[in-house]
Amino acid sequence: MRVSRGKGRMPYLFIAPFFALFAVFGVFPIGYSVLMSLFNWKMSGPVEFIGLGNYVNVLTVDPFFLSAVLNTLVLLLTGSLLQHFIALPLAIVVNSRFVKGKEFFKTAYFLPYITSTVAVAIIFANLFDTNYGLFNWALGAFGIEPVAWLADPVGIKVALSAVLNWKYVGWNMVIYLAALQSIPAELYEAVEMDGAGTIRKHLAITLPHLMPVVFFAVSLSIIGGMQIFEEPFVLTGGYENMGGEGNSGLTAAFYLMFTAFKAGRLGKASAIAWIIFVVILLLNRVNRLATDRMPGGGD
Amino acid sequence: MKRAIAAFALAIALALPLVAQSFDPRKKYEVTFGVYGDLERAYREVLSGPDFKSKYPNITFKFQTADMNGHHNRLATIIAAGEAANDIEAVEIRFISNLVESGGLTDLGAKPFNGRVVGKDLVKFAMSNATTTRGKLVAMPVDIAPAVLFYRKDLADAAKVNLDSLKSWDEYIEAGKKLTLDRDGDGKKDQFAITHPGDVGVIPLNGGNGGWFEDGKPLEPKQKFLDVLDLVLKIRRAGIDADLGAWTPAWTQALKDGKVATMPLGSWFGGALKTWIAPESKGKWRVAYLPGKLYAAVGGTYLAIPAKVSAARKAAAWEVIKYLATSPVAQLAVFRSIDAFPALTTVYSDKVMDEGVEYFGGQKVRKIYADVALHIPESPVSEYDNVVLSIWMRAVSTVVFGKKSPEVLYEEARKKILATVE
Repeated sequence: MRVSRGKGRMPYLFIAPFFALFAVFGVFPIGYSVLMSLFNWKMSGPVEFIGLGNYVNVLTVDPFFLSAVLNTLVLLLTGSLLQHFIALPLAIVVNSRFVKGKEFFKTAYFLPYITSTVAVAIIFANLFDTNYGLFNWALGAFGIEPVAWLADPVGIKVALSAVLNWKYVGWNMVIYLAALQSIPAELYEAVEMDGAGTIRKHLAITLPHLMPVVFFAVSLSIIGGMQIFEEPFVLTGGYENMGGEGNSGLTAAFYLMFTAFKAGRLGKASAIAWIIFVVILLLNRVNRLATDRMPGGGD
Repeated sequence: MKRAIAAFALAIALALPLVAQSFDPRKKYEVTFGVYGDLERAYREVLSGPDFKSKYPNITFKFQTADMNGHHNRLATIIAAGEAANDIEAVEIRFISNLVESGGLTDLGAKPFNGRVVGKDLVKFAMSNATTTRGKLVAMPVDIAPAVLFYRKDLADAAKVNLDSLKSWDEYIEAGKKLTLDRDGDGKKDQFAITHPGDVGVIPLNGGNGGWFEDGKPLEPKQKFLDVLDLVLKIRRAGIDADLGAWTPAWTQALKDGKVATMPLGSWFGGALKTWIAPESKGKWRVAYLPGKLYAAVGGTYLAIPAKVSAARKAAAWEVIKYLATSPVAQLAVFRSIDAFPALTTVYSDKVMDEGVEYFGGQKVRKIYADVALHIPESPVSEYDNVVLSIWMRAVSTVVFGKKSPEVLYEEARKKILATVE
């Protein structure tokens, strides 16, 4: 009896290290940040319990948070979600039996993802420079006046969207490519025998089979997109510029970092973090509902 | 009774590390030092030199270096978390306001440090910037950056303008119009007076170091702040700026190529020009007072001891800070190494200050730096200064476009500040 009881404990013992580490480095900080968000918690010194005061302040009084969320949502559409409309067709093309050197293309498209974000942002800042940037030089060749990309609220969003699409298209393409390779070839042969063209073939077979992966990839984009920080931080000139002209590049995560490390308001920053978390949850729920209504969704 | 004595002895033993301890010259210390940028190189040179070694043979060092933002983010995080930090932490002037009221740094003005007595010869404004509203001195200034006007003498001579004694910013703008030229005759200006109007967005406001509040009200007195927004707008409207973002490759290239004639900045910029921006322009650059003999600082370093450091380690850390801040040998060595201008006023009469600097055509630029340093006014810092600075800089950037008036942008900035600090 003793032996069997000991055996019964063994699996728990084996998984204990993970749960112990997760409790210390995962659960505890999460719980602690909830606690912090209820206090007027500065860099140091005494803290004062203010209940939901930080949440109320962020949502009603703060002059930056709501516009930062709006900026983030715009970039989510033009930067993080738009890339799926590029990545999926790209994956289909690369997966085509007519394309040679698949490994090369996979590597080439994936390279931006593993390139340092700071380096990427600096290079794009040069490309978008008003006076000496490559993009304005190209526009100038067509007689178009230079655009102040990084000194204009719309220009900043265009520049940021370009960076985000360039950097993450490869990542999504690789996810879709892996999923495409798991679709049985016989299905395509069957619809080809039924006389379906290329578009019809992908609408009838590819998309429904990929829908769970689309949900997964879009979820990752929503989570990542709502936490964009480095790209706007570097591209718009750091904390002191607060996202550039019209605070157009001030994202929710950027403002969180600003509030915590520049303003030294750790309680308020924790409240911002939790509000962002709730927004991410809601957006993923929308993603779930949308993909469930698509062919192949909800399987 | 025995129990009571034992409990008392235990309490004393436990409390001992919390009580201030004095530096023991016979004991070996390894002082940990958190720094950013070039400071490690400069401090290593000084602290391994014969002067320091003869005074403190028992102190060795372990440095932790990061880029400026990374260093201060780490410092903010560990202070907020109440974790152990390095024994000494360097703090850049832009970050001092964040930390000054944080309570996470040791009061160096109190016993046994007596920082105010030790630092009696350090520049007053820098000591003031490191002092909390309750009078605690939380860091010691080691280097400062007096703001001056760097200018290209050859371009000024060609345009027949004298930038050495500009009486006002209006005079500067008038001179700037003569410095802005189409040198190659292609119909487009290719030489400008200044890189961007935003370059003067905080210099007239103590260089952005303190002075943002008056009697608890932000951006007061109003006229002082409106004047700055007006100045920025006037520079743009005069068409004398190159519209270059600071520290971009185009910005450095323009300075290197002599396409920008002036640059109002801290003294450290002279080192940057000399070493990597335009080393080939030796003899062409000069230094002048800011228009109207405006006195401000743009940059500077402080050294602090986090509160969580044990008393024994604080004693050693304080010896090192004292040495770096108040030893003429150390102050001049760091100055020679990385052009960090001394915070110690007694070295301003050293012969090195009277030497001509080859890069600036033999001009005695250090005399100007020293004079500016001695006249920079004290301005109180607040824990909100970083937020205010960011909001202000947005107003400065926006006024350039001329779509909103300085008055409107001033009001917007003031409202945002009030809402943010509430």
